[in-house]
Amino acid sequence: MNIPRPIRIATTVMTSILFAVLGGCVTTPVPSAQLAVADAAVQHANTSSTSQDAPAELQIAIAKLSSARQAETNRDYERAIQLAQEAEVDAQVAELTAQSARTRRAAVESQDAAHVLVEEIDRQNHRRADQEYQ
Amino acid sequence: MNTRMTVLVPLAALFAACTSIPEQNAALDQAHSAVDAARHNPQVAALAPDELTKAADSLRVAEQAATDHAATATVNHLAYMTLQRVRIANDTASSKASQAVVAGAAAERDKLLLEARTNEAASAEYAADNAEKQLALSEQNNDRKAAELANADAAAIRNDARVSDLEMQLKDLNAKLTDRGMVVTLGDVLFDTGKSQILASGSSNITKLADFFKRNPARTALIEGYTDDVGAPSVNLELSQQRANAVMTALISLGVPAGQLATLAHGEDMPTADNATAAGRQMNRRVEIVIAPTSKDVVSIE
Repeated sequence: MNIPRPIRIATTVMTSILFAVLGGCVTTPVPSAQLAVADAAVQHANTSSTSQDAPAELQIAIAKLSSARQAETNRDYERAIQLAQEAEVDAQVAELTAQSARTRRAAVESQDAAHVLVEEIDRQNHRRADQEYQ
Repeated sequence: MNTRMTVLVPLAALFAACTSIPEQNAALDQAHSAVDAARHNPQVAALAPDELTKAADSLRVAEQAATDHAATATVNHLAYMTLQRVRIANDTASSKASQAVVAGAAAERDKLLLEARTNEAASAEYAADNAEKQLALSEQNNDRKAAELANADAAAIRNDARVSDLEMQLKDLNAKLTDRGMVVTLGDVLFDTGKSQILASGSSNITKLADFFKRNPARTALIEGYTDDVGAPSVNLELSQQRANAVMTALISLGVPAGQLATLAHGEDMPTADNATAAGRQMNRRVEIVIAPTSKDVVSIE
């Protein structure tokens, strides 16, 4: 080693700084928390009613979560975080799409039921009126 | 120099990697218009304000990233997040609107059921009312019967009044109530001795009798003639008959139907006083009008 000692120290310091800076820019901490949140959201959304009323949306969320895990395995943590966040929001979209479809059906059914009730009551009233008339 | 280069080159490369050229991002544009559309949808603005705010915040972050020349992948990711948040806002609003419809329908149903029950109650009340009316009607019937009974009572009272009226009518004629009925005695002042011609002095009594019989057409009377014991009994019997006939004729001539009247001759039988004295004999010379009692005692004219 014929490199003088001060230079060797300087090089070590600069390299350390370089790695520290590179680490700050490129490296992302392992996104276990984000993945856990996404996993929970997808599991929450993965119900029979959601798979019935929003199957495409649910499938996207599940696929996105799986991609996030793959990115994590590939150590592409930034992508993993993004995919985990997208999986979480996709799961919510699937749930709400299913819920909105269900409530829309319920609204139509209750309106139909109200119509039937109105008709039934009208008929009863007519019958009663007839009886009273007699 | 060489050492300096080994430090500076990677640094430059580092800064180049961290920055990117700002470019128009299609996903970001799409996110922008989606947020705008949601903002202008009154249903979303009213029913999902929190979700809309999150979408708007997400859009701001994405736009900031684009402005800061973030990686296209990052901007795309943030734009996608924004789009999904808009979808969440839209679905939430749609769900709430449908829930409102369901709730409204439920309220409407409750209202209708309440109305139906009210109608039923009204109907039951109507039935009860009818029953009450029936009851009132039967009560009215009862009242009417009671009134009829009262009327009957009143009629009876009136009959009593009539009876007393009858008595009043006959009182003038000195009628006496006997077992045979009311008996009016016309004294011999009506007749001259041995004659059957009614004297004018007795005509007022005859007129009163006629009025009485005309007012009481159901009344029948037996006109009985009596004499004192002066003279032959057969003559007296004949005389008593003639006098009874004379009274009957007088009454008929005054309008009394003959059917109401009959005569009977007693001659000198059944004296009411002693024939030994003049006063007694005078009392025995008489015509008695026996007014037969009827079951009703008086015929109602109504």
